[in-house]
Amino acid sequence: MSVPSHHVVLRPPPFDQPPYPADTFAGQTVLVTGGGSGMGLAMALAFAQGGARVAIMGRSIERAEDGAAKVAATGAEVHAISGDVRQPDHVASAFDEAERVLGPVSLLANNAGANFPVLAENISVNAWNAVTRIAIDGTFLCSCELARRLIARGEGGAIVNNAAQYIWTGFPGDAHSAAAKTAQATMTRKLAREWAPFGLRVNAVAAGFFPHDSSVSGGRGGGIEPLQAMIPAGRTGSTWEFGWLAAMTCTPMLEGLTGQIIVQDGGESLRRSLLMPDFVPPRERVDGPWGWR
Amino acid sequence: MSGWLAGKTVRLVGESDAICRALTTQGAHLVDVDDCDVLILVVPSPVKQLAHEIDHDGWRAVLDAGLDRCFLAARDFASSRRTIGRGGVIIFVAAPEQALGADHAAAIGGLGNLTKTLGVEWARDGIRVNSVQTFNTGDVLGSLVAYLASDYAAYVTGANVGIGLEDG
Repeated sequence: MSVPSHHVVLRPPPFDQPPYPADTFAGQTVLVTGGGSGMGLAMALAFAQGGARVAIMGRSIERAEDGAAKVAATGAEVHAISGDVRQPDHVASAFDEAERVLGPVSLLANNAGANFPVLAENISVNAWNAVTRIAIDGTFLCSCELARRLIARGEGGAIVNNAAQYIWTGFPGDAHSAAAKTAQATMTRKLAREWAPFGLRVNAVAAGFFPHDSSVSGGRGGGIEPLQAMIPAGRTGSTWEFGWLAAMTCTPMLEGLTGQIIVQDGGESLRRSLLMPDFVPPRERVDGPWGWR
Repeated sequence: MSGWLAGKTVRLVGESDAICRALTTQGAHLVDVDDCDVLILVVPSPVKQLAHEIDHDGWRAVLDAGLDRCFLAARDFASSRRTIGRGGVIIFVAAPEQALGADHAAAIGGLGNLTKTLGVEWARDGIRVNSVQTFNTGDVLGSLVAYLASDYAAYVTGANVGIGLEDG
């Protein structure tokens, strides 16, 4: 099914028209975890459009460098760093390197994440640890690293977390990510409370589906066409509108905004009808359309 | 940048200097007629009273201002937008639901879920519905409302957003 032509589908301004001036983050450095591709790259680009210097941290230096090249194309100063957000020493040295090359970090985008559909009973210990610890430990370690540095310097800053729209509903067929993303969101509220006295703000965007090259479920079957029709807004999200909202929460324009989780999903998580397709347990849709085997 | 709301007509119902300023700064044309692109309803905050001390007339007045009139205004706005085949934006602004008395709690609780409901019910009419529940009355409120009113928030609907830590 496609979206009927008489439905009104709203679209954001194009990528080259960001919602804030090019000097919004002038003199500031942002560190974006997992910023080499997808949603992280979208955030990195959005901060760059606001004039930030951008450090991209990723487990794969090749991917981080690919992303950095795209950010550099906007004219921004950018530096790619290899590191694993689950390792405290990697996190500390990534901040050291970012600050040495680009200057003091005052903005952080916690985006690093891993996710793939899998039945709960088939989640190996390794898979569980990977997905949960990248989001939970990674967000905690990176946020605390930034906080310690800012507090020591007596400066404020802002953190934005890439949460997901399924943090409130659960996500059958994605148990590891459901747990991980909600932990990250509740942490958002708690850390905001703890660091408000230090002028460090913490917010999150609960994102819906924003297809990109490395989406885990966007590129199969008939492409994203069936997904467009499924979403109340009549389309999937554009990565740059996500990046803009994430960066917006860190702007002086929204100084005072903290502890908030803003849902941006085109109404996807709120969809509910008296008549809905029959419920199919994840176990029985593994081999069906949009299955993963 | 010529402003997030350049070319848009906005009707602001209720009192908020900060929202008014932000809308103007972002290039909106403020109007006082039903025919507009964006409808913003600011719910007045009632005096905080203990539940058992609220008389029924007072109770009804708060529910009328905080829920009934918001729904009816949104319904009429959506109908007129649908008639001309244009999308639109509705934003409700109120103090947090637990901030005042039981009357306000009931009204704004209802308004919050109405936000989620209408955001989806009218999604394919291109009508977005969001609300801001906050104690904040300053420039951040203005900026946030202006953002929600703009096309930059094209993928934000059914959201209930706060600003500060006490906003819940």
